[in-house]
Amino acid sequence: MNHSPATGVPDAPGSRRVRWIALGAIALALALIGGVLIYLSPLLALLEPHEASVGRVAGAPAAPPPPLDSKQRINILLLGSDNDQKFQQDALLSQTMIVVSIDPSTHQVTMLSLPRDLWVEIPGHPSAKIDLAYAQGGAPLARATVEKAFKIPIHYYAWVGLNGLVRVVDRVGGVDLDVLHPVLDDNYPNDFSESGYGTERVYLAAGPQHLDGRHALQYVRSRHGDLLSDFGRSVRQQQLLLAIQQRVAGMDLVAALPTFARDLNGHVKTDLDLLRLTQLALFMRDLHPGDVHQAYISAYVRDATSSDGQQILVADWPAIHAYLRQLFGGDLLP
Amino acid sequence: MTRRIAVLLLAMLVLAGCTSSGPVAHDPGRVVLPVKQVPVPGRLYATKGRALYRFSGTDLTRLRFGPRVKDPAVTSAGDRIAVAQLQDQSSTIVVSDPNGQNRQILTPSSLAEGSLWALAPAFDDDGHRIVYLTDRGKQPSSPQNLQPNDLGVWAYDLATGQTRRLVHPFAYTGGDSDPSYRPGVSDQLVYTTYLYGGAPLEPVARLTWMSLRTGATVYLSPDPGRNFEPALSRDGRFVAFIRGGAGGDDLCVMPLATTYTHELRPYPSDSAVLVQSGIVAQPVWAPDGSAIAFLKLVNGSFDLFILPIATDGAIHAAGAAQAVTHGSFLDADSRLAWSP
Repeated sequence: MNHSPATGVPDAPGSRRVRWIALGAIALALALIGGVLIYLSPLLALLEPHEASVGRVAGAPAAPPPPLDSKQRINILLLGSDNDQKFQQDALLSQTMIVVSIDPSTHQVTMLSLPRDLWVEIPGHPSAKIDLAYAQGGAPLARATVEKAFKIPIHYYAWVGLNGLVRVVDRVGGVDLDVLHPVLDDNYPNDFSESGYGTERVYLAAGPQHLDGRHALQYVRSRHGDLLSDFGRSVRQQQLLLAIQQRVAGMDLVAALPTFARDLNGHVKTDLDLLRLTQLALFMRDLHPGDVHQAYISAYVRDATSSDGQQILVADWPAIHAYLRQLFGGDLLP
Repeated sequence: MTRRIAVLLLAMLVLAGCTSSGPVAHDPGRVVLPVKQVPVPGRLYATKGRALYRFSGTDLTRLRFGPRVKDPAVTSAGDRIAVAQLQDQSSTIVVSDPNGQNRQILTPSSLAEGSLWALAPAFDDDGHRIVYLTDRGKQPSSPQNLQPNDLGVWAYDLATGQTRRLVHPFAYTGGDSDPSYRPGVSDQLVYTTYLYGGAPLEPVARLTWMSLRTGATVYLSPDPGRNFEPALSRDGRFVAFIRGGAGGDDLCVMPLATTYTHELRPYPSDSAVLVQSGIVAQPVWAPDGSAIAFLKLVNGSFDLFILPIATDGAIHAAGAAQAVTHGSFLDADSRLAWSP
């Protein structure tokens, strides 16, 4: 017979039932919480501070990120690198640099491509092509370089490698985009060979079509069959970002985010925290095509040769800053 | 750690309250027909996952035509079919009877200049010639010595086996696309020219008419602009094409003059009639000219539609487009073909 430990009086049957129900409820709650944590644990891993792991201290942005509940503009620097086997993994160039600027007050997004060959001052280093900043100092130096040159406050960054991009596109079920020209490249770098060297032949027909990750990567990476060279590639990269956004818009985020995180762990680095990531995912999901604007500085740069013989782009900085004031109004750094 | 768990739970709650209204479509791996099937007059060919399918009435048949094919074409009588057969990094043009028997490989997969692409075949009116795309004739290229390898328009004579280049592409544009002979005449070609135009330079696609007799070419659409994938009606009087723009890729139809001697202003495409908006690709006319089939992006899937068209008097859609497939992820980079 059960007795109450305090009084020695036997429990009434109703009291025992209440205790069992309470224990069951607690166990169920713990199981639910545990399940949720297991379910979302990949996100925890993805959102760990990555730069520290390669021996660098994550640099602070020039301006702190706006509070979650504010309507202030948020700028994210997207970085992309060739990170196949032939490259030293802690000194990758950033072949892609796009500032994604989100204005919650107007519900507008602007994507600004920064050409990789642009000659800039890199803080603490000699002047060089802008893609060298990431190789020399990771995301913090890339962020500081963009902030110094363009006066755009970079609140967050996200870096993705070749495999990461392929996985993102495949995870959203492929992308739908309008291939602007036929893509023919007899010397396309074989991204996924074991050595990282070698070439393959690529053909993509022009016109609207569905692309998987591998073909989407070919579309944005190939430069051979494009007279506009790197600028043409910037246009295609922004096209792909838009196409990914449109696919994400139709996704169930509850189901998608943890799976995404599991797939992308090690292929994506970011200093976005989970709440901001969630907020941005919801914001992006509600965007319409007309809400997203594509911007380029191609009209304000010209070809040149550096003193050490590199083919570079030099900028008309007053013209670029005037252009950026048109795009971002007063949201630039002093 | 406690704060991180709290943040996770809060994010989960936010997400749970804001799930998508409808799941994004994923490729089912097969062709899906709608519950209420749309009968297809004649035989309409399309590819999915690089396999060839034939729609006829309410029947759907997967044709055994090699492991990976695209760009089916069919003679006006429907007795011969051509496809681009894809290998790992090359392709060849193959013709056969409509069931894939009596196959004949027409073009080489490689020559001295290296591996070759051969794509987008199209028969002439009597089925004696094929026009197609290839990078044949290019200069050998390497990463240290990059050479253009754009697609040009070539012709193959089925009686003699002789080939000849009809159009040299602009270098570093990817080349030309969508060639077809104009039905009703033996000496005219219509295709898409890819180039760069405008200021600053931007990708341009122009509808192009060519006289095979004189070699003269006339643009039928402006620069800048993106007008592509021309498809000629079986009587050769009309061309359906895709007009690309910020809002989408719309299906338009315009009449063709008997011949062209110079570029017209306004361009013929300027007065084309919009018959289907959206993200549309690969139009093809019904053999009797009463409809246009095309692929349209719906909920993330390219599906096959048929749109009735009236061309006597003012060109217009004579009804709503009907879906032949549903959520099937057909290959939108592969042409359609339609025979009686």
